[in-house]
Amino acid sequence: MSAPTLEIFEAGDAALRAVATSSDVEANWTAVHSLAAWLRTAAVEGIYGAVPTYDSVLVEFDPYVTSARQVRAFVQLGMRQLEYAGTALRRPRRFDVPVVYGGDCGPDLERVAEHQGLEVADVIARHTEKTYIIRCLGAPAGSPMMDGPDFPLPVPRLKDPRLSVPAGAVSVAGRQAVIAPAVAPGGWCVIGQTPLTVLDASREPLVPYVPGDELRFHQIPEEDFTRFAGQFLEARP
Amino acid sequence: MTGSLVILQPGHCVVTDLGRTKGPAFGLPVNGALDQFSAKAANILAGNLDNDPLLEITALDFRMRAVTDLLIAVTGAPLDLTVGGRECPQWEPVSVRAGETVAIRRIRTGLRAYIAVHGSFDVPTLLGSCAPDTVVGFGLKLVEGSEIATQKTTAPITQPHFGLPLFRLGFAAPDFSTHQVIEVTDGPDVEEFGSTAELLFTSTYTVSPRSNHIGLRLGGALPERQTTAEVLSRGVPVGAIEIPSRDELLLLLRGRGVTAGYPVLAVATTRSLDLLGQARPGHTINFCRTTVAEATATHRAACMELERLRTRVNTVFSLLGIGTSAGWRELPAAAGI
Repeated sequence: MSAPTLEIFEAGDAALRAVATSSDVEANWTAVHSLAAWLRTAAVEGIYGAVPTYDSVLVEFDPYVTSARQVRAFVQLGMRQLEYAGTALRRPRRFDVPVVYGGDCGPDLERVAEHQGLEVADVIARHTEKTYIIRCLGAPAGSPMMDGPDFPLPVPRLKDPRLSVPAGAVSVAGRQAVIAPAVAPGGWCVIGQTPLTVLDASREPLVPYVPGDELRFHQIPEEDFTRFAGQFLEARP
Repeated sequence: MTGSLVILQPGHCVVTDLGRTKGPAFGLPVNGALDQFSAKAANILAGNLDNDPLLEITALDFRMRAVTDLLIAVTGAPLDLTVGGRECPQWEPVSVRAGETVAIRRIRTGLRAYIAVHGSFDVPTLLGSCAPDTVVGFGLKLVEGSEIATQKTTAPITQPHFGLPLFRLGFAAPDFSTHQVIEVTDGPDVEEFGSTAELLFTSTYTVSPRSNHIGLRLGGALPERQTTAEVLSRGVPVGAIEIPSRDELLLLLRGRGVTAGYPVLAVATTRSLDLLGQARPGHTINFCRTTVAEATATHRAACMELERLRTRVNTVFSLLGIGTSAGWRELPAAAGI
């Protein structure tokens, strides 16, 4: 398999953005994550981070130590390496996430059902029947960004974003799904909440998953919330 | 020998450093000192490594008491600095005796001041940085009475000729002003704004009170996006200028969420970001366009200025017998996770 072509854009004097431009979204995703992994392994002086998302990777560097021109050349080298070596993303781990849907835990569940023209039970069924691939870690704080459930329509964002969404909130927006690892403002539709702790600043690593890992949601009754509370999200053995 | 200091009046003060460069790969903002130039200068003047923990004081008056003898340096926005009631200069090392109070009053023209202490602080880190992160709830909370351990104490350095300042390194502090000219390079999505992108360079913008360490909100004439296609979430650099609403332009600072779905119109240069870290609500800004090559040259010139300062500090400190760090610059951690 040949890797998709990447287009490189300037993003200031301390970053650049490489975008995979093929029509194959899976190949684009694989390419930008492989490139980010390659950059991390290479650990080139001055390049201190690569943030891959869906079809792009943001490469950040110190322009005192290196320069946009050098980093661009290095990214191009990485792309060529990957064309020959192929991608080596590691074998995915699997996470199971118990969720209390609706009610106080999922204040937007009914609105989402109405907008989709589905019964509430169908929304839950579609949300739980899919195996999600964690596409990238996003804001705020290591959120697992995933492609959304198979809904008929993209889910509109809230007109008035909430000032505070609790940790563990399970949300959807557009064609995406996410879990909130920490309390933060949010404009996505919250359909449920997991009692598991996703992020703890005192633990290493900060969040248990990496891009490429798989995740499934399953419904639990509200009274089981406290039974799981305080447990950490861990990969299935 | 370790020392310590006690916070008497915290104002709005945090212990920070140059930022969590390993954070973005985990979806955490880089955070760290908003005016990196002033923060580096403070550490250099205190004989520390650039990235050592130091105090960042925003807007409000601040006081601390030295429990042991300390050597400090204060940089950043113009302010009134007194030690034990004596007026002392900014941008110079200052000797503080045990028991004396260091007071910072009337931070003006800019917004943030930095206090570095020779030997720096022993504080917890997350992913290699002590910079506070409000989202994950990391960072030292400083209140009245908080005691911070320092890794060294420095015996008082006395000046035999009474009344003369102790150090005269003569470092030219940057200009602080209520009007800033901010250099930007074209953003990766500038084409989405068509000809309206030019508005950025012909309008004057005013810093809104809704600004914080995540981003500056700027009122003024707004370029408009000419396309409507949905943008997939992607990494955005610090300094990115976005137009998320019809009211204000958003310029992302170091506390920014790492990913976002708005097109990036322009990106402020590394050197300009230091000036923006000093912008107060009501200050005005004009943008001017530059190239990545010019921005890199400007940044490197500023770094060289700091390197020359380091050389002078090392010379003076070694003559005085103050232990200094090795005279090379601590590079940001390589990208390994």
